[in-house]
Amino acid sequence: MGRSLKFNIFRYNPEDPASVPHMETFHLEETDAMTLFIALNRIREEQDPSLQFDFMCRAGICGSCAMLINGRPDLACHTKTKGLPEEITLLPLPVFKLIGDLSVDTGTWFRAMNEKVQSWVHTDKVFDPQAPEERMENQLAEEIYELERCVECGCCVAACGKANMRPEFMGAVAFNRIARFMMDPRDQRTGDQYFEVVGNEEGIFGCLGLLGCEDVCPKDIPLQDQLGLLRRKMGWQSVRHLFSKLLPE
Amino acid sequence: MVFKHDVVIVGAGLAGLRAALEVAGNVDVALISKVYPTRSHSGAAQGGIAAALGNEEPDSWEWHMYDTVKGGDYLTDQHVAEILATDAPRAVYELEHLGVPFNRTPDGKIAQRAFGGHTRDFGKAPVKRACYAADRTGRVMMDTLYFQAERKGIKVYPELQMLDLIFKDGQVAGLVAYELATGDVHVFHSRVVMLATGGYGKVYKTTSNAFANTGEGVYIPYRAGIPLEDMEFVQFHPTGIYGMGVLLSEAARGEGGILRNGSGERFMERYAPTIKDLAPRDMVSRAIRTEILEGRGIGGKDYVHLDLTHLGEQKLAERLSDITSFVKIYLGIDPAKELIPIQPTCHYMMGGIPCNVDGHVLGGSQEVVPGLYAAGECSCLSLHGANRLGCNSLLDLVVFGRRTGLQIGRDLAGLPWQELPRNPERPALERIRKIKERKAGEKAAHLRSRLQETMTLRCSVFRHEETLVQALSEIRSLEERYGKVVIDNRGARFNTDLLDALELEALLGLAEAITVSALNRKESRGAHSRDDYPERNDEEWLKHTLIQKTDGEVRVFYKPVHITRFQPKPRTY
Ligand SMILES: Cc1cc2nc3c(=O)[nH]c(=O)nc-3n(C[C@H](O)[C@H](O)[C@H](O)COP(=O)(O)OP(=O)(O)OC[C@H]3O[C@@H](n4cnc5c(N)ncnc54)[C@H](O)[C@@H]3O)c2cc1C
Repeated sequence: MGRSLKFNIFRYNPEDPASVPHMETFHLEETDAMTLFIALNRIREEQDPSLQFDFMCRAGICGSCAMLINGRPDLACHTKTKGLPEEITLLPLPVFKLIGDLSVDTGTWFRAMNEKVQSWVHTDKVFDPQAPEERMENQLAEEIYELERCVECGCCVAACGKANMRPEFMGAVAFNRIARFMMDPRDQRTGDQYFEVVGNEEGIFGCLGLLGCEDVCPKDIPLQDQLGLLRRKMGWQSVRHLFSKLLPE
Repeated sequence: MVFKHDVVIVGAGLAGLRAALEVAGNVDVALISKVYPTRSHSGAAQGGIAAALGNEEPDSWEWHMYDTVKGGDYLTDQHVAEILATDAPRAVYELEHLGVPFNRTPDGKIAQRAFGGHTRDFGKAPVKRACYAADRTGRVMMDTLYFQAERKGIKVYPELQMLDLIFKDGQVAGLVAYELATGDVHVFHSRVVMLATGGYGKVYKTTSNAFANTGEGVYIPYRAGIPLEDMEFVQFHPTGIYGMGVLLSEAARGEGGILRNGSGERFMERYAPTIKDLAPRDMVSRAIRTEILEGRGIGGKDYVHLDLTHLGEQKLAERLSDITSFVKIYLGIDPAKELIPIQPTCHYMMGGIPCNVDGHVLGGSQEVVPGLYAAGECSCLSLHGANRLGCNSLLDLVVFGRRTGLQIGRDLAGLPWQELPRNPERPALERIRKIKERKAGEKAAHLRSRLQETMTLRCSVFRHEETLVQALSEIRSLEERYGKVVIDNRGARFNTDLLDALELEALLGLAEAITVSALNRKESRGAHSRDDYPERNDEEWLKHTLIQKTDGEVRVFYKPVHITRFQPKPRTY
């Protein structure tokens, strides 16, 4: 027989004036290889069909099911109950707009962030269907890929001290995006153009350096390295900005 | 509310996005998607996208075309395969240009790896044809195309689920959609509707597909009288994680992984002596089931092993990092040291909405349905025939997604606005009201499990008249019980209970179409393998199945296969 698990789950419907935020308790017997995602589905199917949470691929790639699991942001689909104590507390991710219970709106946040950092290759080269690909070192391609592995789950944003205080703070995920495009020779943006996007308090200079972001990334993206790199680059850029103001041509 | 756009695309996976990028700028286009766009299932694609670039070794589009036709067990329409193979290099170069971080060869070109059924010189040996970004190819393509859509400012309606298509005088006039956040039912008035709603693996219990893959996008036109094509051809991927169905990409075998049975034997050597573990999926899945049925599973149980131990930690980390990580997480197994238990899992639907090469949906007499288009897994171009080759789907999405977008652009001038019929949302509202008001009956989740179990047990890798007849009678009795489906949650916001019940109608209808088509095809071809008719029979069955709803009945009829370059031959590897 499996353990008897006790789930304390946050319940609240922000659209309903009669609803007040509270914790609700559910009990479930643990089964073999149970993930939180399996547990939540069982609770919804067997105990309370109104329980709200998000999920989609159940294989850690779509990024829908992030939540606070005993206080720590992670994906429900790849968290095994076996690794957790008998009492499991689930809360929605902070920072993002609450939709209800464990479900938050990460989509709007990410679309706005990606629009801000303009998450696409900026180039004036027109695609020539006759021409083969532009060459690139594999090493570089792998480094770009490494940063492209973000699944936009929102864990790093939720774990960010600054984003929790100031929602307009861009967060590690945005710096990671910027770093990805700065590294990509296909992107023709200049240092100054990147600086305009992240060289401010909402961006890289607002980071408190608490580094909660990297600790919680379910995809183990080296967010800290990117932060360091960007700060150094942007630091130089800001000095250059200063000089160009002081010493106009 | 009534929303108005010239073009509405249902589905924001790769097929929908690629088409939208082609249409945007010239006309008013909107995407609707039941999940947030970047959560679409295209993002789950791991292994790669096929194109005869010849970056690693000599390759040619003709070999690619041949492999696609032979992989499809000659049911592939060859003019379609020719478009796919010839346009593939352009499609991949374009993705590279947009920023997809493909792996590279030592001289900086796009790297390629071997994949099942892709060969050189018309079947002589495996060829490296799959372009990849580690084991995340779909996700990086999705993000790249979605950011392009953002750049172009394309309007997206997330978490809106299509419930009905609207027709006026035989032409599409729009669609009806349910808003998850509010429970409101909206009308989209448009001149064009394009369906790009992906697959419907949730018909089966064990599947690599995501939860949203419930097939309304295929069922809704079917319910409206449009036929479906080749529905009996369901692909079972050989390497699903045992007990879960979660996919371990064929890239694992492309990189050198080997399948082993209970006595450690590399059994694929017996089934496909030339290309062994890289045989097409239908053959490998049958081989696995045969090993299991004949008692050679692991410890006599219903699974075999995937052996990656000889690949080394570095290759696993560099090329297969995601699947390595989820094998560790889900199974607690380190693939560098231990064997992975796997079993076939429902993966891809070759069948779907019949289309021509420009994305026009075809009605019962092969006529173009004005204003209605489809691309991607929900469509059936007869490209993948009786069995799709790995890495040909991602390619299909960008090649035919783009063609469909271009065609919509060309057609629009001739597609006037149709007036909306009165209260087009009424049938959908009625269905919802009935479900919400019903007091006693069975829960959708319960009926759905029964359906999925039946399909997995009786209509999967191997089929037989007896099991198919049983399956059909169970499906029909479940359909009857569905008439009394109840829900506990009667609220308006994010009512997944209600959606489960609405989606089940589609799952049942599609399961019936699959089973009836399978029962009628009295031969074995590609993924459709009948114990009672074990041979392929070109004389009688080299033709596409069409199934159509007519006044509560289903009608099955056939249409010929397009053969251009390659005459059907016995299919050995
Ligand atoms: C695990 C896995 C790995 C794979 N790996 C590969 C690979 O390596 N190479 C390869 O070539 N192929 C691969 N495939 C196959 C390939 O990924 C799919 O066939 C393909 O992504 C389908 O894309 P699509 O654009 O047609 O649909 P999807 O990406 O599934 O998108 C469907 C869209 O339609 C929307 N939708 C559905 N129904 C409705 C509705 N009723 N109302 C509104 N919106 C709706 C969804 O929200 C979604 O946006 C893989 C498949 C799986 C499951």
